[in-house]
Amino acid sequence: MLKPFKQGNDKSRLDKSSSSVWLAYMWGIVTPFICTLIDWPLRDVLGGPSILMIYLLGVFLVANFFGLAASILASLLSAPLFAFYFARPIFSFAISDLENMVGLFVMLVVANLTSNLQNKAHQNAELARQREGRTNALYRLSAALVEARDKQAISTVAVQHIYEQFGVVSVLLFANQQGNLVYPNAKPLNCSLRRVNLADAQAVFQHRKIEQPQHPDVFYYPLEHSKLVFAVLVMQIDARDVEPNFYLSGFFDTFCTLIAQTLQRLHFAEQAKHAILQAETESLRNALLSAISHDLRTPLTRITGAAGALLESGHDCSDDDKQDFGKVIFDEAQRMSDLTSKILNMARFSSGEIILHQDWNVLEEIVGSALNRLNRSIQNRPVRTQLPSNLPLVWVDAVLLEQVLINLIENAIKYTPSGSPIDISAEKSTSGWQLVVADYGLGIPVGMEEKVFEKFYTLETETQQGGVGLGLALCRAIIEAHGGTMKAVNKNGKSGATFIMNLPLREPPLLNLDELGGASL
Amino acid sequence: MNPSKPLILLIEDDQQTRRFLKTSLGHKGWRIIEAGDGKTGLAMLKNDKPDLVVLDLGLPDMDGISVTKRLRQISDIPVLILSARSQEQNKIMALDAGADDYLTKPFGTGELHSRLQALLRRINRGHPVAEVFQTGQLKVDLALRKVFINNQEVNITPIEFRLLSILVRQAGLVATHRQMLTEVWGIEHINDQHYLRIYMGQLRHKLEINPARPRYLLTEIGVGYRLAVYES
Repeated sequence: MLKPFKQGNDKSRLDKSSSSVWLAYMWGIVTPFICTLIDWPLRDVLGGPSILMIYLLGVFLVANFFGLAASILASLLSAPLFAFYFARPIFSFAISDLENMVGLFVMLVVANLTSNLQNKAHQNAELARQREGRTNALYRLSAALVEARDKQAISTVAVQHIYEQFGVVSVLLFANQQGNLVYPNAKPLNCSLRRVNLADAQAVFQHRKIEQPQHPDVFYYPLEHSKLVFAVLVMQIDARDVEPNFYLSGFFDTFCTLIAQTLQRLHFAEQAKHAILQAETESLRNALLSAISHDLRTPLTRITGAAGALLESGHDCSDDDKQDFGKVIFDEAQRMSDLTSKILNMARFSSGEIILHQDWNVLEEIVGSALNRLNRSIQNRPVRTQLPSNLPLVWVDAVLLEQVLINLIENAIKYTPSGSPIDISAEKSTSGWQLVVADYGLGIPVGMEEKVFEKFYTLETETQQGGVGLGLALCRAIIEAHGGTMKAVNKNGKSGATFIMNLPLREPPLLNLDELGGASL
Repeated sequence: MNPSKPLILLIEDDQQTRRFLKTSLGHKGWRIIEAGDGKTGLAMLKNDKPDLVVLDLGLPDMDGISVTKRLRQISDIPVLILSARSQEQNKIMALDAGADDYLTKPFGTGELHSRLQALLRRINRGHPVAEVFQTGQLKVDLALRKVFINNQEVNITPIEFRLLSILVRQAGLVATHRQMLTEVWGIEHINDQHYLRIYMGQLRHKLEINPARPRYLLTEIGVGYRLAVYES
């Protein structure tokens, strides 16, 4: 029989139960004497059966409060007391009266029967209480497990509930990538792992049993569901503190199954996530491959051609030709280099989460740097900037925001005729600040305003322009990582692609004028 | 300094890169000695007394940052870092460890040549610094603490002048945020980048025609600032 209890009050509980047994027996002995004392002054008024009824009441009360054993003791003691004090001849254990004899016999039988009945009722009540307690415990466990989002959290919940329910210190061991169990990074309870043997746990993990456990009081339990073991529950069982063999009970099994189910749910969720990630990586790889084959082949062909011509013609080659071929090789290699670094950047940003290195920045600097880096491709195209002087410092990752601007400006250059202007403007808005990059080209095809932000999407009609279709997806990811939003519209409804980014504004740090003054010459 | 052609110590592990640098820089009037790893490089620095060091960040035996530190312990020689895209953080650390400028791979030899010339100007620090510095239309009179654009004097504050003079002192080379903050506000303000941004912003508005597309005060995002050098 398994009873819920906490380890904390374990000792006192044991003491209490042994002392309550003695108390029960004491009452079993004392009660018949009390009944005798009650009956004694009434012995002339009441007949034998009525006196026996008082004894019966006493036995009944003892059965009610102190259980079966005490009540049997009370009934057995009641018989000689009745015979001695009340049944004629008085002050002798002999009973001459047939009525009293029958009465005594009936009382003994009735006393025992009622005691038994009561005991059963008690047991049933106790059982019901236990069941309710367990149902509650399971409910609490499942409620807590639903909240748990990762292995660490599940482990914490499981270990705490096992401790509360069974009073044992336990730990959940999980396997690493290679399928080997490892010690947890953080202990869910302030408990010691000192007797936990990884080899034993590993054996349970793989074969569900141990040949020869190193510590017999350390118990390894595989948390399995649908024939898959997700973890090993290790319990340090101190025989003095807990119910023996509690782990053989069905309740404990249910408890563990619940934990195993949660681990299974997590396992499947992780698998699904992994599959999605893999699919994305796969399509990224495909996009990169096609980008490489399309965009890198052209310059490579030219380089190979020019270098081959240089090698083959040898001394016949005129100096002018040499110069020309050299220039082709140099220019094309430069183009390839730009393209590869761009593709690599995109791949790096797209594959993982974006980590921001935010700092207080002046937007003007970021715009200036982006334009400076694009000097060569901008050529004589007018770039009009409108950055109001009242724009405060912005809390952004300058390198990434520069990347956003570079991508947008490059896009504008790619999709508009040369000489067509590009506008970059910013302003404070009610909720933060707004950055807008606009061109005067054909605009985004109607209905594609959202689609352009999808990974690997490129405007089909412009495939000869190259590009892997990651630029805008990356821009949006960066802006969203900053807590902002990004959308694309056409300025005049159908032409002039305009990218609007709304970003939150933070209270900039105050300039301490004293500190600044310290720099005076 | 070397009266004839300046001598460059090239520390780079890739032999092909060394070969083409030697050829193309040789054409532009530099002499080159090569080292394939950090230890050899440091030894050659002591023995051969080069004028400049060009240091690749990815060396087989030791990383570029420790090479820079060791190098700075024994010499004040100008150092140009060659870095790949993936070494962004190392680049800044190497600059803060005492390197003078950087160039991201791949680069054109023309670019390398002009950086080396800027570094060569820095060698002349030993001589009294030219009192008047000029780049394009920008003229800085270091002695009189005066700044002119198109020969018109611009009113600038002491802090702005100090920032500008750091950039002038290493014209054409990058000055890191850390360096500028330390020199102007002191080491305890090393993380107060907003000071620098605000004052550089003011300076840009005073010196540039279009501050959003500066001609002189170039921003190197994530690294620092650079004063562009133009022939007048």
